[in-house]
Amino acid sequence: MRSVAIRFAQMLLVLWAVATILFFLFRLMPGDPTLAYIDTTFTAEQQEELMRQFGLDRSLAEQYLLYFANVIQGEFGTSFRSKRPVFTIIFEVLPNTLALTVLSITIAYIFGVLVGAWLAWRRGSIAEAVGIPLVLTLRAAPEFWLGMVLLAIFAFGLGWLPSGGANSAGMQFSSTFDRLTSPDFLRHLILPAATLALYLQGLPLLLMRSNMLDVLQEDYVMMARMKGLPEWRILLLHAARNALLPVVTAFALGLGASVGGNVVVETVFSWPGLGRVLVDAVASSDYPLAQGAFMFIALILIVMNFVADLLYTVLDPRVSHG
Amino acid sequence: MDLQRRFLIMSAAAASLAVPLLSSGVAHAAGDPIRKIILATAAQAADPQEFQAAQLIAQEWRKLGLDVEVRGFPRPQLSDLVWFNRQKWDTTMWRMVGRPERSDPDELVYNLFHSSTAEKGFNFVGYVNKDYDSIAESQRRETNVEKRKEIVGKAQAMVAKDAPYVFLVHPKNTVGYLSTVFKPATVVDQGGIGVRNFWTFVQAEPAGAVKDIIANSTESLNSINPLYISGAPDSWVTELIWDRLMRIGPDGLAKPYAAKDVKWVDPTTLEVTLRPGMMWHDGKPVTPDDVIFSFEATMGDKAPMYKPFASNIASMEKVGADGVRFKLKEPNASFLISTIAKMNLIPKHVWEPVLQGMAGKPQNAESYQEQLPIGSGPFKVARYKLNEEIVLEKNAAHWQAPKFDRWILRVIPNNEAGLGMLRRGELNFLSDYRGDPKLLIDLAAQQKDIQVASTVDMGLRFVGHNLRRKPFDDPAFRQALSVAVNRNLMAQAAWNGFAVPASSMISPALPFWHQGTPPKASLDDAKAILKKAGYEVVGNKLHYPNGVKETLQPE
Repeated sequence: MRSVAIRFAQMLLVLWAVATILFFLFRLMPGDPTLAYIDTTFTAEQQEELMRQFGLDRSLAEQYLLYFANVIQGEFGTSFRSKRPVFTIIFEVLPNTLALTVLSITIAYIFGVLVGAWLAWRRGSIAEAVGIPLVLTLRAAPEFWLGMVLLAIFAFGLGWLPSGGANSAGMQFSSTFDRLTSPDFLRHLILPAATLALYLQGLPLLLMRSNMLDVLQEDYVMMARMKGLPEWRILLLHAARNALLPVVTAFALGLGASVGGNVVVETVFSWPGLGRVLVDAVASSDYPLAQGAFMFIALILIVMNFVADLLYTVLDPRVSHG
Repeated sequence: MDLQRRFLIMSAAAASLAVPLLSSGVAHAAGDPIRKIILATAAQAADPQEFQAAQLIAQEWRKLGLDVEVRGFPRPQLSDLVWFNRQKWDTTMWRMVGRPERSDPDELVYNLFHSSTAEKGFNFVGYVNKDYDSIAESQRRETNVEKRKEIVGKAQAMVAKDAPYVFLVHPKNTVGYLSTVFKPATVVDQGGIGVRNFWTFVQAEPAGAVKDIIANSTESLNSINPLYISGAPDSWVTELIWDRLMRIGPDGLAKPYAAKDVKWVDPTTLEVTLRPGMMWHDGKPVTPDDVIFSFEATMGDKAPMYKPFASNIASMEKVGADGVRFKLKEPNASFLISTIAKMNLIPKHVWEPVLQGMAGKPQNAESYQEQLPIGSGPFKVARYKLNEEIVLEKNAAHWQAPKFDRWILRVIPNNEAGLGMLRRGELNFLSDYRGDPKLLIDLAAQQKDIQVASTVDMGLRFVGHNLRRKPFDDPAFRQALSVAVNRNLMAQAAWNGFAVPASSMISPALPFWHQGTPPKASLDDAKAILKKAGYEVVGNKLHYPNGVKETLQPE
């Protein structure tokens, strides 16, 4: 229990560090948010007024204290550009991002773990000779290229699937749940999720395979064989369970990273998600929105890391410290 | 002060000593060699066309004996340099986008080159010319259109002669739509804007069973707010929801819209009569009180982006049952376009409590997002997600009710996907296309129901020289740089033919106001101009005229 408390304290420390770095990072970037308003009719008075509105006329130390006091209260402020609360903007796109990320990463990891284990088992076979280069190619292919190829084939070419967006134009739903479970949404989800899954599957697959190759050399596998256990049982219950540990960490971290890291897929498929919000915010020096979005992603990443640690103790009893 | 004077005396003494010494040896002497000139531009990734144009320009300037470095910056960094560090750069690529309110030349004639905007406003090149100032001021006061046209012509001629800018091109705006959805004859081409405009969306007739206009934006929207100028796609939405007393017509002139009648009583008094029977989207009538409130809302401190446009209003009062009289502080010829046709009419019963609640607080109207915005325009809001989609429905009670049932704007950042969606009907009006226009035209050649409209834009691409810095303070030098640039080549090579050569800040898309022809590109002419002004090429390197020192370092 004590170790959990220590980890929790560490988590808070990391969050504080992230919040602080974010604060200074954006303010050190060249340019300031008023640049977005430069225009023939833009006056010096308007610029000063904007700086005052954004609170950027105060000293850096003052800004930092104010920012921190707000962050502690869970208040991330108002976007400079759209003037809406940061949380409103984030939560508007979050369901889309979660649907895309969770689905694709789950598919990628289930596929990766099973096929990785199988390829390790079939070491030296034709399946391996074909499979490994294929996996590496998909892993190395740029996401936008993969996405555009899928779009060209399944949307523009065959016309089976929509070319972008999360819904058909003008669709109306009674609730977010209704929307996320509607056939229309799922049809729009197929191509971006497939692109992301194809991109993500390489890591768990290769990780699983190399772990399996190690584990299969272990004495207890030999022991299991000598006991005459069926092959599938050895593969799944003895070898795979142990080979799975690093993959679990990778999954937890990958999920965290993907939530904000889908910018490319979101842009190719015009998917209204968190990654695009983040990029737009950084591009227009919208400090509160960028800070809020990054903090949110960091939070997910750190929490997932924490979850991975906890999962370890379940999967591998050696890890739990009495 | 003392130091400066001492320096002057010393350098004068040094010059008087040096000149006879040198002239005894050589026939005539040149000044210092001109330092390396830095041409700032958006980075290649940020704007490939602009970057390529900068390369072409540098290539020509080098032939004059100049050492030119093209330096690419991310956009924010470039803006920061040009706008906030006005002493630090030499010359820069710059752009200005087309907007309906730029149909009136005032903004371009006044804000770009008047000396009052040189320190902190848009006159970032630092062009200061008393004669020009008085021309710019007089066109603003002149209410006789023909006389004003003449003055605006003079302003353009003076800018062409003094060459603070090298005018490059006016890009074409290329968009597409489906003729199976829109009857092409009912799609309106607005001068300098193109077919994506208010009039098309309100007047176009369906050609078939599809009753939804499905348009696109390549960027997310910021807000839907009648008191906040927040971005281009935002304005396409707001102009459909909120009516204005006048609107800028397809010919670029302001015409009465929510006002039945607009007339000047004298140069500082304008009388407006409201069109009868107009309703807000919530069913309440539009009254003169609403009109006065709408303008008052922008005059206080709660709508800072709109405030400058209302600054010339001295007072307003009701006249009769449906009239409003505006009293101006001074005569202003562009008042109809820059103020009357710009301000959104907003319902007093919705906004008065909101603004009252903000009184004495730091918040302003820009941060207020109505759950369901209420205007009196031809479309009303059904629902919206600013990062995803805006759905408007036709306001059947409007006196100019649209022919389509819905107007839907989808946020599609991927240009190629936008093309694919148009082909498949997932979009039927490709209203925002930033990819290669040729792809769109090729697509239209393959698929007959795709109509493409390519319109010369009011927007402008140019090189702005920093007139605060030598050698750009010399009109002859600037003139030579301008003549050296081949605008036709630029329009073809950098803009793929989707641009026309520019000669003025006012686009040929506004034929009434536009004046001037682009100079014929000629290196020989450019060299002759430089030679005549005393510049000299020594060993392939261009030198200042005799006696001129180089005082700056390349930054």
